Amino acid sequence: MKLFRLIENEVIKMISKKRLMFVLAILIVLISVFAYGQNQSLTRTKAQLSQRMGITATADWRKLADQQLIDMKNRLDSPYLDEKTQSSLRVRMEQLQYNLDNNINPLAQSAAKFTTTFMEQSIFLFLPLLIIMLAADMVSGESSSGTIKLLLVRNVPRWKILLSKYLTLVILEVIVVCSAFALSAIISGFFFGFGGWLAPVATGFKVLAGKLDATGVHNVPQWQYSLMVYSLALYVAIVVGSISLMISILVKSTAASIGIIMSSLVAGNFLSYFLSDWKITRYMFMVNLRLTDYLAGSFQPIDGMTLLFSITVLFGWAIAAIIISFVYFTKQDILV
Amino acid sequence: MLKKSIWYSILTIACVGFIVLSLGFYQAISVTTAVNPQPLAKAPLTQTPEISSKLSSQTTNFFKMLILGDSIAKGTGDEKNKGFSGYLPEYFKNYTSKEILIDNAGIDGLESIGLLEQLQSHKLDKTIADSNFILVSIGGNDVKSILSLNDLAKEEQFTVRQDSYQSNLKQTLQVLRTINPNAIIIFLGLYNPYEKVTSPEDTSLLNTWNYNTQQLVEDDGKGIFIPTYDLLKYNLGKYIAQDGLHPNSAGYQALSNRISQAVGTIITGS
Amino acid sequence: MQQTAVLELINLRKTLKGKEIVKGINLTLFPSQIFGFLGPNGAGKTTTIRMIVGLIKPTEGSVSICGYSVAHDFVKALSNVGCIIESPDMYKYLTGMENLLQFAAMDKKISQQRIKDVVEMVGLQHRLNDKVSTYSLGMRQRLGIAQAIMSQPKLLILDEPTNGLDPAGMTEFRNLIRKLAYEDGMAVFVSSHLLLEIQQMCDVVSIIKQGSVIKTANVQEIIHDNRIEWQLNNPEKAIALLREHWNIEAVQLKKNTISGCLGQHPLAKINELFIREDIALTYCSTKQNTLEDLFLDLTEGDEIV
Repeated sequence: MKLFRLIENEVIKMISKKRLMFVLAILIVLISVFAYGQNQSLTRTKAQLSQRMGITATADWRKLADQQLIDMKNRLDSPYLDEKTQSSLRVRMEQLQYNLDNNINPLAQSAAKFTTTFMEQSIFLFLPLLIIMLAADMVSGESSSGTIKLLLVRNVPRWKILLSKYLTLVILEVIVVCSAFALSAIISGFFFGFGGWLAPVATGFKVLAGKLDATGVHNVPQWQYSLMVYSLALYVAIVVGSISLMISILVKSTAASIGIIMSSLVAGNFLSYFLSDWKITRYMFMVNLRLTDYLAGSFQPIDGMTLLFSITVLFGWAIAAIIISFVYFTKQDILV
Repeated sequence: MLKKSIWYSILTIACVGFIVLSLGFYQAISVTTAVNPQPLAKAPLTQTPEISSKLSSQTTNFFKMLILGDSIAKGTGDEKNKGFSGYLPEYFKNYTSKEILIDNAGIDGLESIGLLEQLQSHKLDKTIADSNFILVSIGGNDVKSILSLNDLAKEEQFTVRQDSYQSNLKQTLQVLRTINPNAIIIFLGLYNPYEKVTSPEDTSLLNTWNYNTQQLVEDDGKGIFIPTYDLLKYNLGKYIAQDGLHPNSAGYQALSNRISQAVGTIITGS
Repeated sequence: MQQTAVLELINLRKTLKGKEIVKGINLTLFPSQIFGFLGPNGAGKTTTIRMIVGLIKPTEGSVSICGYSVAHDFVKALSNVGCIIESPDMYKYLTGMENLLQFAAMDKKISQQRIKDVVEMVGLQHRLNDKVSTYSLGMRQRLGIAQAIMSQPKLLILDEPTNGLDPAGMTEFRNLIRKLAYEDGMAVFVSSHLLLEIQQMCDVVSIIKQGSVIKTANVQEIIHDNRIEWQLNNPEKAIALLREHWNIEAVQLKKNTISGCLGQHPLAKINELFIREDIALTYCSTKQNTLEDLFLDLTEGDEIV
């Protein structure tokens, strides 16, 4: 019960510091900008398409879809297709058929699509950044302001204080991920309409023996796909949060801890390009953050990486970070 | 107190959100790791022996034609769903009383390397050996990807692409000839579906491509290169399908007509 | 006295980065006692206090509060402590009330009524709903005291408590501490370099220098020592004479001034001896002994800041 009050304390501090509001404000601004940009580029693409193919292409998308559907049916009958192509064909046909049945122009954007894409693009840099902003000063902030002294001389053991901070961080991570979902669904809704949640999306890709295996591919409704994307995002958030908290405890200066995690995140983005031969690279947390790409079957930064592999690696990092945090936090001398 | 109520709403949202997202997480893992639940892909495969057995029944009353290559070979874009397989027999009737049996092995999006691999898999060996005519449409997908590059990169990439294409094509022809030295190879040239937005430089590249391909095909001795560029240049609206890339029904008919005229005499003569 | 000790330090030592900062401190504090902990900066006062409240782990020795060891029974030990360590750092982005609520939430036994009482005790009721960032140093100090006494601790630890208080505030504060100690039976541990403060407030004082306690005494006893200051032309000789004849340890204050405690020795005889020994005595005065003097005696004239 005391833990509950401690968490309440931490959350109230976070609210009062305006940190949470700040993060949400950044989300709102960025989502609006992205949605606007998407809208613009969509208009441009449409213009390009109609210039190339005559005006009919975008207006008469149904004819085009019908055509594609017939073609794919033909191809499916071909005896020369391998299994892989067949199942991905089938998946695409299902999607096309859905578009036709529900009168959805496949070229058009929808709030549901945008919401999913937004998190897919944010999960490896932008989302961690937001989490770092929350986590980095949870402990180092108290160190630099001296309030850590007041906190640690209560009749509460240190591990409980840290646990309350960690659980607060998890709560805020859930809030950030949920708000990212709600905000992008609402804001993009004004640009693209609020629908699209039932449209089928292909998933179920597996990596077998270093190759993308598409035989298990099937469609799930967009809402379900979004849910998966955002749950993976939460997982990433929790892992990055744990690591940030650890660094925040070790470094004691908010600026330095933000710097350290940010640079390692950014480094991760080109590590996978330059050091993909290096065995150790795949065990770094930064190269394993793009979990959602496994769902879409497009991710394989380094041979032999799978969703389960990445999740396990991230889990290892998080556990290590938590253990180091607790050991160090309960043992350290407070000298500030 | 305001902050107190914010805290309680945050707690509620977080709890609900956490549960929902946990379910999603479980789903994400099971979706990517679960054993494939639907081995549906098996069904169409069983057709293979059926078709080839039909083809192997050699009768002198038949002309056999094998269509190889990309989506155009396949007939993609034809709203009547016929393509060359549907129209060529009709047009050949003008030249012979024999029936035309067509086997279509076209695959959407195939590039020259894919075609070569397809042949090297030896699945088609029997069909190739039985064919009197082999219609090939390939290269469109090889050249398509460089269109979007800027001019400098384009020329360089063009050379690279064309070199590998030529080498693939050469080998493809070799494979065909090893299996079947006598069949007439009918090769379709490339046309430009984006005529309206193409620069003269691009047109010249396309011409180079077609010219070099023609050289190769003619070297074969029993090959014939059928240009398509001229036929479609001013008829894009008439002959191109909704997707803006493939021929439509009328386009396939026009091309079939041209092919039948080109090889009509050979058909009649044999 | 057979009371149980509120605070007991046994041979407390701390070595930081190879340097021994606290060199074996022994202390015992009983209820209702106001204890002064006096020493120059860097003497190890703050390190000792941090070890008492468990912010720093001792290298050697033990701290127990109300019989509970801080190292092994942290929660029970700390339940009896209220403290301000160095400056009263509060959450500046919270209001005074929110700050108090934060700490109240961490201790079940603090009621709403108690918070109200404490706030009135320190006189903050009018500014309680303002952000701490708008408070003056004195107000922050009061808020710090409020949070320290909120849980009605048996031991109150105050590190430099009157920093930033105006003279009126200081008197008020002194009275409050006295009241807490004598009426509520709190033991108060005050560390300060404000010697006058300690003298006016404390019952017992320990003087710490370079990590060791060099003297512990009752403030009243020390004050009543008979201290004399002489102005004369040969201080070295005078000091030697005092030591030789009366066993008085005198110290040189300024160029021509020495000071020493007479105890029961008659001043006239000493002055007579000085004159006999050809020392030109220009001025001689009795001074009430203050901690300042005591401190100077004990630390042999080292600078106190």
